[in-house]
Amino acid sequence: MAVRALPGKQNRQPPGPEPVGRDSAAADQRRRIFEATAELVAEQGYQETTMEQIVRRAKVGYATFYKHFADKEAAFLGLLDAAIERTAANVEGAYKREEGPWADRVGAALGALFEDVAAHPAPARAVLVEAVAAGSEAAAMHELALKRLAPLLRPGRELNPRQAQLPDSLEETLAGGVVWVLGQRLMAGEADKLRALLPETLEFLLRPYVGEDEAARGAGEAADAISAA
Amino acid sequence: MPAEELGPLPAGRHGYSREQVAHHQRERLIAGLAEAVAEKGYAAVTLSDVVRHAKVSRRVFYANFEDKGECFLAAFEIVVDHLRELIAESVENVVGWPQQAIAAARAVLSFLAAEPDLARLCLLESRVAGPALTERLGEAAGELAPLLARGRDERPEGERLPSSTEDSTIGSLVSLLQRKVAAGEASQLEGLLPDCAELILLPYLGPAEATRLARQVA
Repeated sequence: MAVRALPGKQNRQPPGPEPVGRDSAAADQRRRIFEATAELVAEQGYQETTMEQIVRRAKVGYATFYKHFADKEAAFLGLLDAAIERTAANVEGAYKREEGPWADRVGAALGALFEDVAAHPAPARAVLVEAVAAGSEAAAMHELALKRLAPLLRPGRELNPRQAQLPDSLEETLAGGVVWVLGQRLMAGEADKLRALLPETLEFLLRPYVGEDEAARGAGEAADAISAA
Repeated sequence: MPAEELGPLPAGRHGYSREQVAHHQRERLIAGLAEAVAEKGYAAVTLSDVVRHAKVSRRVFYANFEDKGECFLAAFEIVVDHLRELIAESVENVVGWPQQAIAAARAVLSFLAAEPDLARLCLLESRVAGPALTERLGEAAGELAPLLARGRDERPEGERLPSSTEDSTIGSLVSLLQRKVAAGEASQLEGLLPDCAELILLPYLGPAEATRLARQVA
């Protein structure tokens, strides 16, 4: 860690028993920049957030910032990308691991999504709320995040005798509804109350595919699972 | 408000009272802000842009608004008020909740398609204009909930629907519209009417009837 030896530089590495390797030091810097960006954007919006604020909050120098990102937008896009990949891995993983019928798999995926958002409210807010209006690339990433939910929902069409009549945009529209509900809760500072919304949101997702009775049954089971947990 | 605070009046005999002029200047400022936002986005808009578009002085701006954010909020509220009136008018002579819901959706989509700049201001720029505006968009969209909830009377077991049904539906609608506007396709919003109708009607009328009615508007 040559940085420490430079005169006049503060020690910006967290103290630890093991010296941090260069790769993990770089990863740690990126993580801190993402965290700072997400927090600042959640507090005051994307436009109001400046690189100066990010650098100060992340406790990195400008040189370090520029080593990773060209500007604020690049850092924000990097944050979105990292958040979407992490969430998608959790959600898709939960969907694949669940071996029950499709409705149960959607329930598992939705549970993973809610958990992920509750555990990482600031980056989730960046993806779900701020990205829509933070420039065309960020908006495209928001769109991409929504679209990743579609393949998990689409198999539900096979359970619907009227599948040919379902609108093409159904999956993305449903995902949009979930994103809105999550975003509103995050803005209200109620990330910790998301679990209570899970059964109803699951019912909302299942209803167009399996009809309301089956959807209500799936939601009831989800509610039981939550109160048992 | 002293007369000199109102800035230069249009030359000649205009016949307006001082109150009318003040009101007119406020409206011009709001319209000026909307134009400036359409041109370069809320974040990049300066006070100079607003007063240039509005053709009034800075002093007039400060007589009406504290800052850019307050002027934006006023613009947002005017659009929301107008949409509220459009929705009320659209359902006036329409019989039956499903047709009223469709008429309201049609009115909103036609207005936003005809005014893509205002659609952008309301649905996207409001999310850039700080956390207060973002919350305001949520509240404004939430006003649709009672209109949707009347669909519960359409079915015997309507009260059994989850209490968040209206929220989820509104979320889907807003998200659908936002993404269309973000894609630069605000002028094609009316094409979303069948999808919007189906989305609104589905929880209350069931899938078969929702699809049937949505196909009729296509």
